[in-house]
Amino acid sequence: MDQRLTDEELAPVLEPVATARGLPNRHYVDQTWFETERDKLFFDGWAGIGFAKDVPANGDAMPITLLGQPLVAIRGRDGKLRVFLNICRHRGMILIREAGPIRGAIRCPYHSWCYDLDGALKATPHVGGPGHNSHEAIHREDLGLVEVPSYVWRDVIFINISGEAPPFETAHRVAIERWREFDGPLFHSGADSGFRLDVATNWKLAVENYCESYHLPWVHPGLNSYSRLEDHYNIEEPGAFSGQGTTVYRQLADEKGLVFPDTPGLGDRWQTAAEYIALYPNVLFGVHRDHSFAILLEPVAIDRTAEHVEIYYHAEEALEEDHTALRARNSALWETVFKEDIFVVEGMQRGRHANGFDGGKFSPVMDSPTHMFHRWVATRLA
Amino acid sequence: MPLLSPAALDAALLDAHAAGDSARLAALYGKAASRFNETADIDAACFYWTQALVFALEAGLDEAGDYAERLRRLGRI
Ligand code: FES
Ligand SMILES: [Fe+2]
Repeated sequence: MDQRLTDEELAPVLEPVATARGLPNRHYVDQTWFETERDKLFFDGWAGIGFAKDVPANGDAMPITLLGQPLVAIRGRDGKLRVFLNICRHRGMILIREAGPIRGAIRCPYHSWCYDLDGALKATPHVGGPGHNSHEAIHREDLGLVEVPSYVWRDVIFINISGEAPPFETAHRVAIERWREFDGPLFHSGADSGFRLDVATNWKLAVENYCESYHLPWVHPGLNSYSRLEDHYNIEEPGAFSGQGTTVYRQLADEKGLVFPDTPGLGDRWQTAAEYIALYPNVLFGVHRDHSFAILLEPVAIDRTAEHVEIYYHAEEALEEDHTALRARNSALWETVFKEDIFVVEGMQRGRHANGFDGGKFSPVMDSPTHMFHRWVATRLA
Repeated sequence: MPLLSPAALDAALLDAHAAGDSARLAALYGKAASRFNETADIDAACFYWTQALVFALEAGLDEAGDYAERLRRLGRI
């Protein structure tokens, strides 16, 4: 059964940031709370599970597991991406075991029930006895694959397992509006623009660290030149996302002055601005005038998180040959930055085993985006 | 496809299953179905047409429509 936070437990986290305490240790080290958070924070809302670029062509399918739930993302013949439970309606067999193209129907490997790419059940061989493919008790129209509500934003595939959340466009209206100017097509160059980091930490610590700029001068001294602490501002949307922005972003350029092409039609303020938000629960986004990235936090275990990082450009020319070296430099730069964060999120995870830790004391100025995330967690668990 | 003896058909089916070659499986099962259809063993023919239909669906072959139609006419779908 799901646990709940009592009012008494909730109160210190819900206090204003100046007097609040962080979430208690058990949210980082207690397996039963990990499961409660799975249900309340991931399944009841919109969680990121993968990237649409990985199912590019009609007929492509990709199995994905989110916190034990077997899912499959399929791009239909109509070009629409759908997410289904990756199980046969007959005996619950896993349907698709490897990513790849589907030529015709999806055939269950067990008794060969066949499904269309839109989930419709097409054939039930021998279901009424050998050579008899129908039966009055088998209503094919009720036995299609179970579709999970899904939505693609900034190439990330989000799903709502419980089916109870408001539509994505409603739940995340503010984030969508905020970055409307970046709605144009995203261009991904393939393996040279993505990497995965396996981190020994609870997924929440990756969010908490990403939200704040307080650590930049200490953990990322290399960023200091173009990302000084005093040029940062907090971004806070209660119940949805938080993060930070900078007003002195400088484009990456090579020795000859080559840069990535700008996002078409971008307003002036973005010439030197960049923003970084954590969309609760598990997707971290960054946008700049010339590129963006998305980091999907995959909770592998209570103390293990896979960070899937993908970098996107905003104009097709960025994928051309003459930008290859610059793209490699950009990927390497971000990989360095995100690796610099590993020792702190792993260190905080180890720290959460200290029985004497009270959840921590926030900087009222620098930590409020992190506190906003704790507040969201606590409220969802109440 | 050339005519195969029953033993050769069996062997070809096993090969195609091992290779996961659904287009070939559809063709071979279709073959087997015709053979039984010719000897008026309708139950056996329907079994094999069902097999052929499944693999034709999986392979995305137009023949799936023909197999389905045969089964439909015999009230098997
Ligand atoms: S479990 Fe899928 S057909 Fe039986
Ligand atoms: Fe960082």
